[in-house]
Amino acid sequence: MKSANRARLIFLLPGALWVLCFTLFPLVYSLGLSFTDKRMGRRTRPGEFIGFQNYRDIFQDNRVAEVMEMTIFVIVGSVLLTVVLGTFIAWLFNHEIPGLRAFRSILTLPIFAAPIALGQLGMILFNEQSGPINHMIRGVGLDPVYWITDPWSARFAVLIVDVWQWTPFVFIIVLAAMQSIPNELYEAARLDTSSAWTMFRRITFPMITPALGTVTMLRLVETFKILDIPYTLTGGGPGVSTQTYSYYIYLEGLRFFDMGYASALAYLLVITAIIISSIFFWRVRHRYDIE
Amino acid sequence: MVGQVSLKQSVERIALWAAVALVTLIALYPFVWAIITSFKPQRDALQSSLIPFVQFEPIIDNWNAELGRTGRENITALKNSAIIAVGATLIALTLGTMAGYSLARFRFGIGNRNLVSWFLSQRFLPPVATLIPFFLLLQRLDLFDTYAGMIIVNATFVMPFAVLITRDFFADFPKDLEEAALVDGASHVQVFLRVALPIAGPALVAAGIICFTFAWNEFLFASVLTVREAQPFTVKIVSTGTVRGIHFGFVSTRLLMAVVPPLILSLFVQRYIVRGLTMGAVKG
Repeated sequence: MKSANRARLIFLLPGALWVLCFTLFPLVYSLGLSFTDKRMGRRTRPGEFIGFQNYRDIFQDNRVAEVMEMTIFVIVGSVLLTVVLGTFIAWLFNHEIPGLRAFRSILTLPIFAAPIALGQLGMILFNEQSGPINHMIRGVGLDPVYWITDPWSARFAVLIVDVWQWTPFVFIIVLAAMQSIPNELYEAARLDTSSAWTMFRRITFPMITPALGTVTMLRLVETFKILDIPYTLTGGGPGVSTQTYSYYIYLEGLRFFDMGYASALAYLLVITAIIISSIFFWRVRHRYDIE
Repeated sequence: MVGQVSLKQSVERIALWAAVALVTLIALYPFVWAIITSFKPQRDALQSSLIPFVQFEPIIDNWNAELGRTGRENITALKNSAIIAVGATLIALTLGTMAGYSLARFRFGIGNRNLVSWFLSQRFLPPVATLIPFFLLLQRLDLFDTYAGMIIVNATFVMPFAVLITRDFFADFPKDLEEAALVDGASHVQVFLRVALPIAGPALVAAGIICFTFAWNEFLFASVLTVREAQPFTVKIVSTGTVRGIHFGFVSTRLLMAVVPPLILSLFVQRYIVRGLTMGAVKG
């Protein structure tokens, strides 16, 4: 079986080396950078070793405290809303609905739209003077909302666009989980109760809990990355009220070119991502083995 | 009581259908609104009218301006997006399929579960974390603002999809044919190329489409690593600000051009979406 031994490496190595080169190397490199004061642009510094200074600075940085407010708002809001709404919609579509496939295809469209374009779409939908959303709000006799100029309204605008894009993601996954529940379970329960809520609580919910766990983790990781939507929708404003942590790293590193500090900021995010992904893969990795 | 539907049941059915219709409307409305607005003159775009010919006179000026002679930069950017996304997809698919095949057919000492997790885990990495190293690396390699640089970056990000989908496909597919060919004296590479690849067609297409859409939609790295020559459309639509306020028609037209190719392609990969986007954790 010597040939099999060689063959498996011939197949595996190109991809593995690519990932080593272009994922592991950058990660190690930015870990190194995070211990230096490297800066480019106007006040260039070559980057001397300064130990943990950048990491200490993070905890003194008022801006970090400010962007954390938006970051936590978006993470908690988006994960919670997409999971709850997505589960509810999955439950709706888990009834006998003719043309389910077509509906499913339509509902999943938002997932595939470029977030940057959705930010632009949001920018006109939420336009304060003439956007359709304020038209509607005026139409029902309410005062228009200052989606772009009021800090909390702007945060909600970003949240709404993100939730609109990612609720379908939760929907299709939870629907897949619901459809794999054997019908006999429901039929047996129907002898006891006819309440839809009781059926959901006693049967559907326990059966979809693993899928909900998976989807929550995936959403969590995804919300840490949010940057494109506020970038175009609000430009991080008003002030810094819709700047997320990722957005702040981007500005520090590539607008102000304070690369050492930005790398340290980024590394805290990397550590968080490693923790979440370890839990995720520890749970699902048995699926990757072969018989 | 066959044939008789109770009042409660029919109320429930109506409520269900109303909810289904409402959800579908909410999912589609922004796109529909953008399509309608792209056919409106600015004056009408600021009104809440929705019905063409009745409420406003549709025009194609916006599309002409964005795609015609004045929109040459848009065409270039769309072409750049296509070149980068196709290039990245080809690399990711080639390397990813080979890796996916080996992980489905051979046993590795470290444990296949760990190797696959390692390949997939980089989907979890926050992209901003590798942005600065890539920026410095591409400058050092003289690949800043080039197709090659952007293709390398995007191939890296989308490769997990290719590994995942092809591995899943081969793992579920009986290996009898391949074993028969091996007994007949074919080498492993020949078996892969002549037996395994041809049957994997649908999976390869699906993986390719998912890779393509994610590379097409990428913005963050493109905004930092390109300035002119290799600038893709996602960066282009942001940089073309309008001087006097927002022109709704132009913005709608541009964002539709960015969004339509992936949306159409997504219709062909429905079977693979759930697996693809959950790293295989949920079988859809």
